[in-house]
Amino acid sequence: MMVSGRSLEAGTALLTGAFGAAVVVSSLDNGIGWSAAGVESGTFPFIFGLVILAGSVFNLVQGWLHARAVVLGRNELKRLGILFVPAAVYVGIIPLIGIYFASAGYVFGALAWHKRGSFLLPAVAAIGAALALYLIFELTFQISLPRGLFGDFIGF
Amino acid sequence: MENLEALLHGFTIALSGNHIFLMVIGVLLGILVGVLPGLGAPNGVSLLLPLTFGMQPVSAIILLSCMYWGALFGGSVTSILFNIPGEPSSVATTFDGYPMARDGRPTTALATAFGSAAFGALAGVVLITLSASWVAKVALAFGPPEYFAVYFLAFASFVGMGGSPPVKTLVSLAIGFALAAVGIDTVSGSVRLTMGIDELVKGVNFVVAVMGLFGIGELLIAVEDEFHVKAISSRVEWREVFRTLIHLPRYGWTLLRSAAIGCWMGITPGGPTAASFMSYGIAKRLSSRRANFGKGEPEGIVAPETADHAAGTSALLPMLALGIPGSATAAVMMGGLMIWGLNPGPMLFIEQKDFVWGLIASMYLGNVVAVILVLLTVPIFAALMRVPFFIIAPLIVIICTVGAYSVSNSYLDVVLMMGFGIVGYLFKKLHYPLAPMVLAIVIGDKAEDAFRQSMLMSRGSLGIFFGNTLVTTLVLMGTALLVLPVIWQTMKKIATRSR
Repeated sequence: MMVSGRSLEAGTALLTGAFGAAVVVSSLDNGIGWSAAGVESGTFPFIFGLVILAGSVFNLVQGWLHARAVVLGRNELKRLGILFVPAAVYVGIIPLIGIYFASAGYVFGALAWHKRGSFLLPAVAAIGAALALYLIFELTFQISLPRGLFGDFIGF
Repeated sequence: MENLEALLHGFTIALSGNHIFLMVIGVLLGILVGVLPGLGAPNGVSLLLPLTFGMQPVSAIILLSCMYWGALFGGSVTSILFNIPGEPSSVATTFDGYPMARDGRPTTALATAFGSAAFGALAGVVLITLSASWVAKVALAFGPPEYFAVYFLAFASFVGMGGSPPVKTLVSLAIGFALAAVGIDTVSGSVRLTMGIDELVKGVNFVVAVMGLFGIGELLIAVEDEFHVKAISSRVEWREVFRTLIHLPRYGWTLLRSAAIGCWMGITPGGPTAASFMSYGIAKRLSSRRANFGKGEPEGIVAPETADHAAGTSALLPMLALGIPGSATAAVMMGGLMIWGLNPGPMLFIEQKDFVWGLIASMYLGNVVAVILVLLTVPIFAALMRVPFFIIAPLIVIICTVGAYSVSNSYLDVVLMMGFGIVGYLFKKLHYPLAPMVLAIVIGDKAEDAFRQSMLMSRGSLGIFFGNTLVTTLVLMGTALLVLPVIWQTMKKIATRSR
């Protein structure tokens, strides 16, 4: 599988364009233009939404016509996936098992995958990471980190 | 002369064993909160506040202000080493600090940053010493039109430079403004752009956006390029620290100019963030090594760091003299002042001479303590760059996640942060500049509020931006910064064509 420079440009332009359109539509609810209370609150977002929209259309055409030969080859995509997928899973399971268990699991997984076979060091690092988070945030700065559904379940 | 006498008296108060000890503790705690993204000077100062209730007001303010200095220095560390700015004002430091560290010179980058920061802070304190009474008048002259003009100037000095495609720059800037508008509109009180998600009423926090755009985005770029840090020698590089510091005067002109920008923005009060961006933009325009900016140019670290600290320091002046807190940290400190039974405002300088001048003297000493401590930690922090990528990557993801969550205890922020990470990766890959977007997220809504309040004052007439000398000068300077490069380039083109 490969991603061409052209489709990457087009994809990004569509993304920004969609955001611009959403901003335009949403700001119309707040009213645009001048009223008795001064410049209405939707005016500025409306203008910037239009700028985003117009710029995205320009970038879309420009990117399609003059795309540079940046391509994400198989290797690049694989490396991106190895970093991003575990990170996304980590963020995804926080509501379920809480930040402490998720972080410990993430550190354990990353190190164990890299070291292949040795489990003692990854386990120590995992517990160390969770403990460090608890000591710094929970105890020292009194910021409560999410425990997730699992935390509620075991009463942590 | 009267000020100098008072200052000497202040030194006799600040120079006691007890106070030096408080300075060291404050600075060390400050470095800790500064280094950890998501935690900043406001958190640290709020947590220390209860401890100060039993103290003398002078001792208490020394502890808190030293924590603030420590946090300012610490915020630069993560910007340089991991491209994660801990505070809005250290964003501009990442532009050249991070490339330099990645190229195997983290010690030089950190030492340059701390050295110029110390110079900036010193300039700010000297300014406070000399002009304490005069400043109150300048700051009082600032209304909405002047605020807007200052923000306009910050944008003008920063936007339109650099080699990014203009339309992409414009899109990036406009997205930043739109993101800044999300949440409650402070002028009308109505809720904007939440797209049906109730939790977005609180807005998109800058820290969340920046950790995704810079932290996660950079991680994705790095992993794709088969990231490896260039060989860094494992010995502790004290000599490099000293060599860097000795060579700093080479950037004398940049140091002076950046300190001037910082002091002015701190008093007026445009704030450290606008100051550092503006200083970076102007340095890039005026430098003979313009092409090296963004690739690890020392001047690109000197300019924002000096301005940031000069502004951060001189911003304490409006708080003391007028009772207007320029930042969240200053607001918390002001709360402390009132709890200790002091009233911030012009009378403070007359009624509480010991307190005011003790504090000002402690700023000199506190910054010296902070620079020494932070330089001692340079080799330790630089060693972090040698940790292998497969360990550092998950740690950065975890730090960004926890940081994003702790901003306002919201899981949505974590999801947003990851989304910003993808956007940061795509933008960087396709040469959309990130800096205009970040600048707009940070000061976009303030600029908009100032503009709309001015329009209310003038009933819709733009003439208010030319109403007095101060605001006219600011607007004209901004316009000149925007227009001159365009004219310059057109003239160059005509000249080459006619040849």
